[in-house]
Amino acid sequence: MNEEFKKKYWERYLRLKHHGVKFYPDVVYKDLVVSFALFLLLVGLATFVGVKPEPPVDPNDTSYIPRPEWYFLFLFEFLKFIPGELEWVGAVVIPGLAILILFFLPFLDKNPYRHWSKRKMGTGIMTAIVIAMVGLTIRAVATTPKQEEGPVALTLTEQIALGQELYSIHCAECHGPDGEGGEIQGVEGLEGVVLKPINSQDEMYTRSDQTLYNIIEYGQQDLGMPPFGRAYGGELGPAEIKAIVTFMRYTWDDRVELPQEAQVGGMPQLGPDEVPSYDEHVEPLVKRYCISCHRPGKKNNNYLMTSYDEVLHSGDHAPVIIPGDPDNSIFVQLIRRQELDFSRPMPPTKALPDDVVDIFVRWIAAGAPKTAEEADQIQAQQGGAAPATPQP
Amino acid sequence: MTQKPSRTQALYAWLDERLGLTTINKLVLDRKVPKVNWWYTLGSATLFLFILQVVTGIFLTVYYVPTPDHAYDSVNYIMQGVRFGWLVRGIHHWGASFMVLFVFLHMLRVFYMGAYKYPRELTWMIGVLLFVLTLGMGFTGYLLPWNQRAYWATTVGTQIAGTPPIIGPWITRILRGGEEISALTLSRFFALHIWMIPGLMALLIAVHLYLVIRIGISNPPSKDE
Ligand code: HEM
Repeated sequence: MNEEFKKKYWERYLRLKHHGVKFYPDVVYKDLVVSFALFLLLVGLATFVGVKPEPPVDPNDTSYIPRPEWYFLFLFEFLKFIPGELEWVGAVVIPGLAILILFFLPFLDKNPYRHWSKRKMGTGIMTAIVIAMVGLTIRAVATTPKQEEGPVALTLTEQIALGQELYSIHCAECHGPDGEGGEIQGVEGLEGVVLKPINSQDEMYTRSDQTLYNIIEYGQQDLGMPPFGRAYGGELGPAEIKAIVTFMRYTWDDRVELPQEAQVGGMPQLGPDEVPSYDEHVEPLVKRYCISCHRPGKKNNNYLMTSYDEVLHSGDHAPVIIPGDPDNSIFVQLIRRQELDFSRPMPPTKALPDDVVDIFVRWIAAGAPKTAEEADQIQAQQGGAAPATPQP
Repeated sequence: MTQKPSRTQALYAWLDERLGLTTINKLVLDRKVPKVNWWYTLGSATLFLFILQVVTGIFLTVYYVPTPDHAYDSVNYIMQGVRFGWLVRGIHHWGASFMVLFVFLHMLRVFYMGAYKYPRELTWMIGVLLFVLTLGMGFTGYLLPWNQRAYWATTVGTQIAGTPPIIGPWITRILRGGEEISALTLSRFFALHIWMIPGLMALLIAVHLYLVIRIGISNPPSKDE
């Protein structure tokens, strides 16, 4: 670079500067406008879009589809075009070279002109690269399969509810719906084993959350409790095991007080003349007392209870529920603890509380309505004015 | 001097005598620059985002705990339990994306206007370092919430960095602090994310701005330039 060029540059620059504007306020004003707009945009995004909740780390969940932050997606996508053994060239060498070229660009680019029309090659290459990056990013977004994610329980209320549900599915068939234990019935391989309660003070006061977590994750394999953690071949990830521990702690440990904002409704309330509905009253009971055996993959005469339709219509002896006729419904006979030639009383381990049986019977007697509105209509037809549906 | 200066004037004069406020004002604010356009706001917008990230980041470290046992729950607590925690984290989360975007756009504007040429070569080179460091902030920050997305993205990222023959496994081990992503990876990334990289960036930004002011902002090039 010769001195002549430099001199000419500065002459011109100083002339333009002289005819220019004041940094303050002219330039500062523009800068502030843009920064302030950005700030509003960020507050808006934080408020109305927020941060997507994600489940906690689970190194054993190999089904998870890894996705980098969006601004690395183009590189991720680029690597797909490169044969495996040369991956490192695309991953390290090419980006490294690109950065090096950028870094030394002022010395590599000998063209003295600044206007783009006199640097067609340079600006052309850069434009092509930027278009390729944008294109690769779009392609990556379009081709990455959606991650299937269960609901993420964030608040204590959500965690307890999730824990309750998981407990009912995985634990209740042996430990009983309330952790009361007793003689196991109807579970392959453990028939007749007697379990001590796990909801007692003895248990709750001497097991830390971590211990409970470990017991669920690893099981008590010598005693017959299988491992539930994915790390040992079970079905549950860390978030789910944690939720079960939280449920146990907040339900059975009498030293722990439920914070005000986390009061969960517990079991649904039913007025004396009210007609129960599946959605509001029956489903929570089914989830709590029945689902742990009446789901796919268990011994249950193919009677599944994971949805309204299944509860009404599935099973080898379907229909087990005859809407309007509780006394002849197999369902009611079994929970009233009659012994039938194809089934023992239900649930096998322990009779349901009387008020729970009562809700099931009244629901079937009323015609087994699904929604709360249907239940209200039936009630109105039966005479009594429909009371306002109690809010959960 | 006939009129007694007011208290504020007196205070200003006292400070000016020691700090040289008038000189700073002349050098930084009250100076002439060539007529520039809106594209020139991208640099200051990046600076604003950097400051915003520093401020919100400092607030986040009050509650964030960089250990595998507590990281996820502490972030959850910031979102659920801390007053306005969701806002601070939300701004930091979105601000990170915008910071990367704006650094890149700022670089493109400098490139297309040929503002990296004499006499601004050094400003540009420091800029490239800032660009790489900004990406480093994104990469290290992504792991900190210790959720599935973070864990698996970092697993793949550190594995890709380890693909070169001979030195590859060594790079992965350095990044992870061992064979696997672990508590060590988290504390390493945390240290990089809240101290080492931002400290270096602050230093480089100071030099970057010093150069911009000393050399003067370039004029938008005309056809014959
Ligand atoms: C943390 C990142 C960065 C910050 C905070 C920052 C800040 C700024 C500011 C405030 C200006 C003056 C206004 C403007 O031109 O927009 C500027 C100018 C400049 N920046 Fe950056 N910058 C950053 C990154 C970069 C990068 C990545 C590059 C290029 C690789 C770069 C190259 C330059 C150059 C060459 C100038 C002088 C432009 C001219 O005189 O027209 N900067 N920077």
